[in-house]
Amino acid sequence: MSQYGIAVAHVGSGPFGRGREFGLLLVVAGTLTLGSASLGMTQEVRANPHPATPLSLADPVGLAVFLAALFVAHGALVLSRRRTDQILLPTVGLLGGISLLLMERLPQGLAGGLGLGRTQLVWLVLAIAVLAGVAALVRSDAWLRLYKYSWAAFGVGLLLVTFLFGHDVGGQRLTLSIGPLSGQPSELIKILLVIFLAGYLSENRPILIEESTRIGPLRLPPLPYLAPMVAMWALAFAIVLVLRDLGAAFLFFTVFLLLLYVATARASFVILGLLIFVAGGAILYQVVPHVRVRVDLWLDPFATASGSGYQVVQALHAFARGGLLGTGFGAGLPLIGGALPIPALHTDFPLAALGEEIGLIGVLGVLGLYLVIIERGLRIAASAADDFRALLAAGLSLIIGAQAFIIAAGNLKLIPLTGITLPFISYGGSSLITSGLVIGLLIALSDRGAELQSADAGRRGARRAVAVDIAA
Amino acid sequence: MSQSNHLPDSPGPTRRTRIVHPGIGATLGRVALSMAIGFGGLAAGAGYWQVVRSADLSSSPDDAAVIAASRRVIRGEISDRDGVRLAWSVLDANDEPYRRYSDAAMSSVVGYASRSFGSAGLERAYGAQLTGITSADPVRDLVRKFGTTSSDPQALRTTLVAGLQEAAVAALGRDRGAVVMLDPRTGEVLVLASTPVFDAAELANPETSSAAFARLQVDPASPLLPRATQGRYVPGSVFKIVTAIAGLGSGAITADTTFPEQPGAEKAGLLVSGYRVKDGHHRATGDTALDLTGATEVSCNIWYALAGLATGGDGLASWAGKLGFGAPIPFDLSTAPSQVTNGGGPLGGGFADDVELANAAYGQAETVVTPLQMALVASTVANEGLLMRPHLVLAFSGRSGSVTTQPEVWRRVLPPDLANDISVAMQQAVQGRLGRQFTAGAQVKGMTVAGKTGTAQLGGPDAPNSWFIGFAPAEKPQIAIAVVVEQGGHGSDRAAPLAGVMLRAWKAWAGL
Repeated sequence: MSQYGIAVAHVGSGPFGRGREFGLLLVVAGTLTLGSASLGMTQEVRANPHPATPLSLADPVGLAVFLAALFVAHGALVLSRRRTDQILLPTVGLLGGISLLLMERLPQGLAGGLGLGRTQLVWLVLAIAVLAGVAALVRSDAWLRLYKYSWAAFGVGLLLVTFLFGHDVGGQRLTLSIGPLSGQPSELIKILLVIFLAGYLSENRPILIEESTRIGPLRLPPLPYLAPMVAMWALAFAIVLVLRDLGAAFLFFTVFLLLLYVATARASFVILGLLIFVAGGAILYQVVPHVRVRVDLWLDPFATASGSGYQVVQALHAFARGGLLGTGFGAGLPLIGGALPIPALHTDFPLAALGEEIGLIGVLGVLGLYLVIIERGLRIAASAADDFRALLAAGLSLIIGAQAFIIAAGNLKLIPLTGITLPFISYGGSSLITSGLVIGLLIALSDRGAELQSADAGRRGARRAVAVDIAA
Repeated sequence: MSQSNHLPDSPGPTRRTRIVHPGIGATLGRVALSMAIGFGGLAAGAGYWQVVRSADLSSSPDDAAVIAASRRVIRGEISDRDGVRLAWSVLDANDEPYRRYSDAAMSSVVGYASRSFGSAGLERAYGAQLTGITSADPVRDLVRKFGTTSSDPQALRTTLVAGLQEAAVAALGRDRGAVVMLDPRTGEVLVLASTPVFDAAELANPETSSAAFARLQVDPASPLLPRATQGRYVPGSVFKIVTAIAGLGSGAITADTTFPEQPGAEKAGLLVSGYRVKDGHHRATGDTALDLTGATEVSCNIWYALAGLATGGDGLASWAGKLGFGAPIPFDLSTAPSQVTNGGGPLGGGFADDVELANAAYGQAETVVTPLQMALVASTVANEGLLMRPHLVLAFSGRSGSVTTQPEVWRRVLPPDLANDISVAMQQAVQGRLGRQFTAGAQVKGMTVAGKTGTAQLGGPDAPNSWFIGFAPAEKPQIAIAVVVEQGGHGSDRAAPLAGVMLRAWKAWAGL
């Protein structure tokens, strides 16, 4: 009862009210309106140095549509009458809104059809719809946990289909087209991977913790259970070799190691995994020219500043130009001969673009938003009802966190650059929809009210946990 | 975090807490911590590029904003030290600005800023200032971001003397070569000439730039190479001044050092590790064992080879390093590094053996130098052993005010008394009875000139490069000079008379 009292105090409208989410969404709306005004005034002054009314919004219609989508999503969550997380939607809303402002101010020709800003708006609205739909409607996780091997098989199948029927874009075989639709399956594969890992690790967790094979000083997992680890390693390297997608491989392996650690609390697994990763990386560096180019570019992009290192160097220049405060939306990112010096700015280097226009302060803010997502996700994992849901929530939040880290670190020349997206900010439908799906699932998993898991799975888990308690 | 706080509806609290295996909260905490550390690393990385490296990257000529601005902003003017306009902007038919230049003689320093072919020289080095992306006042730069006028183009007043530079190019004539003149007391560079010249105006004019660039790139005389800063030449005997600085500075020799074996070796050659270092001339000194002044006056290779061996490879390389050898000279324009040896050898300083060291000591072997580097050597002796940092900018000025460059000590190379020993030797080389035959051309009526010629053998049938370095007036030096004429023959043939012409022109300009 007392907890209901606390809930009422801070949501303001009953146990299923979402007052905090509404309040935060208002803050997001205000922030984005200010950003839009800043961009609008810069554009206005650029076009006419002495405008009659300098006060204007960059794209009021786009902003209104996006904010409406956020509030409709909020409404859907309120109507679903579930006691779920209220921080994630506003956080995603702010990231998406920043993305919308960025895409609106970049040259619109970067995307065909509607243009960059409008296309991104469509994908953002769809991503929020997916997020809200999943968060409101997914009430059971049995369909995920019971068919984990099927999901894994589906993922591997997708990988194969992409290899066989996908087409190359920019030296990577990432894109698969079915009729008029095209997308990047590796985006979906990462979710399938986390579902499989959550299922596998939760089922075998006690064995992985309690039993081990000793080889020298290392305590390895029991040998039969080493198989999936090897399989994951093989999958990661297959992705590098087959799809030539370093970023996805790095992301898969990172999330895998982190989840393995969450499930077993055994640092030796992580160390072993890192050793395997380093060894595999060294081999790939020797064997695959594409990997070698990336690593050499990372070590000294300035050596080839006018050749292959051009984009990386120009991205560092963009960060440098932004300085502490940035140039302001619309005032940075100079065009040379009508074109951006970084052609892949909207997909691979959005952080560099933000670094220039909203400065170090803005970059720290954006990084902070990802930390909020990670914190919320791990909190949901910590309070999850069972191992499967804990691991699933942890895995989903780590997908977003690790992906943001890998591309941001690549932009900042801390690690080799890989072409993965900055979640909710990079241009592109596959990435946005997948990220929306991830956050939607996280919100659904945060449900504190209704009973989610199937009774059957719950009993199995309970029996094993009790057995472990007795053993301990 | 406690589980039960978040599970108010739990029908059986014991069941819920049991299902989550003990310990998962702790591992999640550690994962959260590792992610926080990772993102802390990102923040540090962003801070590095956006704060620590912000100024130098965003004012670099490769910066996109600098390149973009240079296409639309009216760049600041460049002038010589007396205010003579060297570069300014005009508008084309579409009202887009392009650059005009006063004189092709200045092009190797001033460079060019072309819409299609990038930039070079001062136009490149100070693109950010000339286009006004960076101004003299950092606070103003910060405030400017919030205003509507986004740039404050700076006018650049150089240390150059247009008339002297034109005289140098005229004196070099059809020869390839370079002349560097600087004030040893301040490091201000008055002349930085390189021939053959190219016409920067042709490259900057959008109507002629493509054809001009295509032609200049394939020109076998490589006029686009700024020889004064990036030409690397075998120095020959002008390098002896470096050996003297190293020998005196390290204490291996004094001004009075003589080598008993030297007169004999004049005839038979000096045996070093089974190899004979030969010298062909100065019969006039007979069997006298020479000291520093005598050896410098007659340009004795044997004496300098012995001095170099006495100094050792380490000594020669490290004292040359104090003069700027071994790395690009910090300067307004990019410079090629000068070297005493290719390095990698087992001997100290990276020399292959004593033979290489002995030959390097009088400026042959693998020793290569830039004209600017040799001008700094002369400047160091002239300024009593104190090497000033060379520079080309007197002042930047724009709306936000102006900034004047102050003379800056680069290094104390020698104590004044040792520098004076070398100065005396260099005066004797120009004014002395025996030195005159080499350097008479460099003499100036009414002013004592100190100097040293060089005749750099290139191997093969090519005529040697002709060198002169020196300074004047010897009693109170105000100008240091280095002249190189590619395949100009003996130092006395071409470089010394050319230095005489330039020193006379300088004397007239300075009103002495």
